[in-house]
Amino acid sequence: MFTLQPFLTKRHLLKPLLMLFLLLITFSVTAQQAAASKPPSTWSNPLAITLLMVILALLLIIFLLANVLLGTAKLFTDKERKKAKAFTVFSVLFTPLLSTAQDAVVTAPAVSSYSGLSATTFWLLVTVIIIELLVIVVMSLFVKRFLAKEEVAFAAKQTIEKPAFVKTWWDKFNRFKPVEQEADMDLGHDYDGIRELDNRLPPWWLYGFYVTILIAGIYLWRYHIAETAPLSKQEYEIAMRHAEEEKAVYLAKAANNIDENTVVMLTEATALNAGKNNFVQMCAACHGKAGEGAVGPNLTDDYWLNGGSIKDVFKMIKYGRPEKGMKSWQEDYSPIQIAQLASFIKSLKGTNPPNGKEKQGELYKETAEVTVDSTAVKEVAVNH
Amino acid sequence: MQLEKFYYDNKIVKYFANATALWGLVGMTAGLWVAIQFYFPAASLDYAGTTFGRLRPIHTNAIIFAFVGNCMFTGVYYSLQRLCKARMFSDKLSQIHFWGWQSIITAAALTLFFGYTTGKEYAELEWPIDIMITLVWVVFGINMFGTIFKRREKHLYVAIWFYIATWITVAMLHIVNSFEIPVSLFKSYSWYAGVQDALVQWWYGHNAVAFFLTTPILGLMYYFLPKAANRPVYSYRLSIIHFWALIFIYIWAGPHHLLYTALPDWAQSLGVVFSIMLIAPSWGGMLNGLFTLRGAWDKVREEPVLKFFVVAVTCYGMATFEGPMMSLKSVNAIAHFTDWVIGHVHIGGLGWNGFMAFGMLYWLFPKMWGTTIYSKKLANNHFWLGTIGIVIYAIPLYWAGFAQADMWKTFTESGQLKFQFLETVTSIIPMYITRSVGGTLYLIGAFMMVYNLYKTAKQGSFIANEAAEAAPLVKASSHAKEYWHRWIERRPATLLVFSLIVVAIGGLLELVPTFLIKSNVPTISSVKPYTPLELQGRDLYIREGCYTCHSQMIRPFRDEVARYGEYSKAGEFIYDHPFQWGSKRTGPDLAREGGKYPDSWHYNHMMEPALMSPGSIMPRYGWLLDDNLDTASTPAKIRAMQTLGVPYPKGYDQQANRDLMIQANSIRINLKMDKIETPATKEIIALIAYLQRLGKDIKAEKRTETAAIK
Repeated sequence: MFTLQPFLTKRHLLKPLLMLFLLLITFSVTAQQAAASKPPSTWSNPLAITLLMVILALLLIIFLLANVLLGTAKLFTDKERKKAKAFTVFSVLFTPLLSTAQDAVVTAPAVSSYSGLSATTFWLLVTVIIIELLVIVVMSLFVKRFLAKEEVAFAAKQTIEKPAFVKTWWDKFNRFKPVEQEADMDLGHDYDGIRELDNRLPPWWLYGFYVTILIAGIYLWRYHIAETAPLSKQEYEIAMRHAEEEKAVYLAKAANNIDENTVVMLTEATALNAGKNNFVQMCAACHGKAGEGAVGPNLTDDYWLNGGSIKDVFKMIKYGRPEKGMKSWQEDYSPIQIAQLASFIKSLKGTNPPNGKEKQGELYKETAEVTVDSTAVKEVAVNH
Repeated sequence: MQLEKFYYDNKIVKYFANATALWGLVGMTAGLWVAIQFYFPAASLDYAGTTFGRLRPIHTNAIIFAFVGNCMFTGVYYSLQRLCKARMFSDKLSQIHFWGWQSIITAAALTLFFGYTTGKEYAELEWPIDIMITLVWVVFGINMFGTIFKRREKHLYVAIWFYIATWITVAMLHIVNSFEIPVSLFKSYSWYAGVQDALVQWWYGHNAVAFFLTTPILGLMYYFLPKAANRPVYSYRLSIIHFWALIFIYIWAGPHHLLYTALPDWAQSLGVVFSIMLIAPSWGGMLNGLFTLRGAWDKVREEPVLKFFVVAVTCYGMATFEGPMMSLKSVNAIAHFTDWVIGHVHIGGLGWNGFMAFGMLYWLFPKMWGTTIYSKKLANNHFWLGTIGIVIYAIPLYWAGFAQADMWKTFTESGQLKFQFLETVTSIIPMYITRSVGGTLYLIGAFMMVYNLYKTAKQGSFIANEAAEAAPLVKASSHAKEYWHRWIERRPATLLVFSLIVVAIGGLLELVPTFLIKSNVPTISSVKPYTPLELQGRDLYIREGCYTCHSQMIRPFRDEVARYGEYSKAGEFIYDHPFQWGSKRTGPDLAREGGKYPDSWHYNHMMEPALMSPGSIMPRYGWLLDDNLDTASTPAKIRAMQTLGVPYPKGYDQQANRDLMIQANSIRINLKMDKIETPATKEIIALIAYLQRLGKDIKAEKRTETAAIK
């Protein structure tokens, strides 16, 4: 019988609780991380998922405790020769708890967001956890109270009868036969003292097995015979089409709808600083921290391998020249970010940093571009 | 009937039990060491043998084959004798088995440390060790079946069904997956290539979990759990159904490790559906274990052995439910290549295998030394420390997996990838730290156990030969009115053959079509064999275990195509002996690394990764810059590849090193232009050649296509 005696003494209740506490500490350490990513939906937020999981785990503990409590309460009431039903104990228990819950909700302070979770959701979940913890504490206290008088008698008695409704539910669910009728099911096998019983298969297990087989059949039929479900490559095409549509809608109304034909030199300090940040992070590895050049060419002189206009630099960053070792960055940076980068790079001209790399490419004259830019682009292009 | 007196051999059990404890500590310590390298890369000690790429295979091999392997043999040698009412068939074979297995483990640890590896996960050991494994496994089989045939018990108990299925299936998996062509004493190439190699490897890899880490341990559970609880097994018919269903279905599920890869869709779907159908048979074992404890839960409160078993069986149930869920394509799209998988396997490894082993050892030592456990309290503390350790280990990794997959897949509104790969790594470092805390707790628990067992043995006296008596087996005439399955329980040879048939079906139906039907791997004309230098570089890539952190498989997802390039096609891997798709992305995918960065970038990156990508947790590979490439092996390697069907021209083996030097010199000149002076003979040159080749073939095809349109 799945009795709950192992959890009954105080010592054994404490340890799972301690474990839970340790777990919560782990969460709080890692919780800061969630802030970095800010996922779009509340329910994909890891903090929310974790809190929910804690809630469910606590619920399970409450359920188990409730069983124990009902058992102990029954023992207690039987002893006291009171006919009171166990449910009464339950209702008595919950009345004060409900009022506590209301208090907790009212006192929750208003802060805007926690790790990407809205304050309301966060506090709602936390409140539920607090209530659950309170229920657990109160229930354990009651169990302890009921047991205090029974401890001696209880230890002597190996199994206690559980209330009827628990028994029928769990036993029916698994098709259990009472342990006392075990002898009827003994198959008479004896392997080094190990006997075997002839219990029926738990029905939920058996029908669960049938269901998985059915699912397997439907799955194969849908994917490979009816072909109504998309295979990997079709899924990919669908996702790409979807992304294109989304992107088009966004770009249609977005201010950063810039490309190599429309880009202009940015001069505001904020834009240049944003460009600088990205430059130091990614470009400096090859072009040097000050643009002096290393693996990649010097960006501070007047000589350019692929044209020196803002449009050329933009184009170079956007598409790259993979065969020369410059990768394309258009999947990494948005058009506005590329414009910022290009503008920052252009702003480096003549800074003459130490260890500058030798000249490479063609001399580029700034004036040509400023006046008639379309022809200038062509002139530079000829130089490749 | 005259009772016969005989003695059980406890000495061999003691040997295996000691080896279990010893290798357990070694394997777990190696695990902790690699875990620390995630947030403290300097723990690689800048030494080849202790970098992640080599230490991780040592960890996995030590845990699987040394710790769980010895645990399996401990339990089998103890229980088989008692279930058969007979001493082991031959003490000599027992000894050969024991010392043979330990020398395999030692050889494995040494060769992996020195970089001799086949580059196939959980089958990394090179061909001489593969042969040793085969021989020792045969010795084990003879000894086991010899004992079974001289048994004094008419019927075979369910534990023995599991032992038999384990033995035959592991033999089949090991032999099929280890087909390789030797190049030298410690170097070989897999017989299979690309998609086919991947399918065989994961058919093997998945079923190593099934038939090395699961079925034998279920056998142990069926013996030690009822013994420790002194309760009858809950349901005999559940045993029958879940045994046959489990071994039949398990073997099919391997392709779920290759969802969304270049593996043909039909094989992927089989992997999915058989994983779903695997839930119930797996849970059958858990239920039979837990329900056996009906009426004994009061003992669970008292007895640390039972506590370990309960948590072990529960973890088994959790892992075998989680596994099928991760096999659903939509979930796999998130879980695969992340730390979720690592969390998942450690629920199985730490929970199921570890706790079963601990419970068994705590039960065996007092029995074999005729005493009680030295300290029950210490054992209880070990239990709690271990349990908390598992939780603190697994949850951060689940979190890390979700968080990283989410970051990988996040796009900005304007359609750019929101996070650089490195950002997604540095953001989960706190989780890596927490996980190693959990692992430390678990390891401390294991040390406590070893101390406790040592003291237990000290206070008792070892019973090397345990007296027993039983009636000899007689031929009974009538088997009227008995359960139908009793028939096969009297026939070990038939049971062996039936098991083989049942496990062979799934393997044959998946492997054979993939090999024979050409449309499964559409050819791409631009895909060419590796040049000699690239081939040498590829062997360095395998030697350093790069595949333990880098995949070479771009799945057809928007984010992966944006991040890495065109998704991988089956035809691109036809010259890959072995395949190097990988199973985890601690670093970015490298399938299209070729041409992404200049040669000098790779040179600097190997010397000091943080120089080129600040914050990188990749170890330094300084020795590649210092050591000379072994070009003497080139002709033999080319010849081996020719044998495997790679179309090098006839007699190319003699010309290969000349071509190798020409290509090496061009890379040297490239590096020189970027102010890096290095001789063309260094290993790094070969590795750069290989990395710069990755994924280039299909890019070449694209270019010719566009040229043709113009």
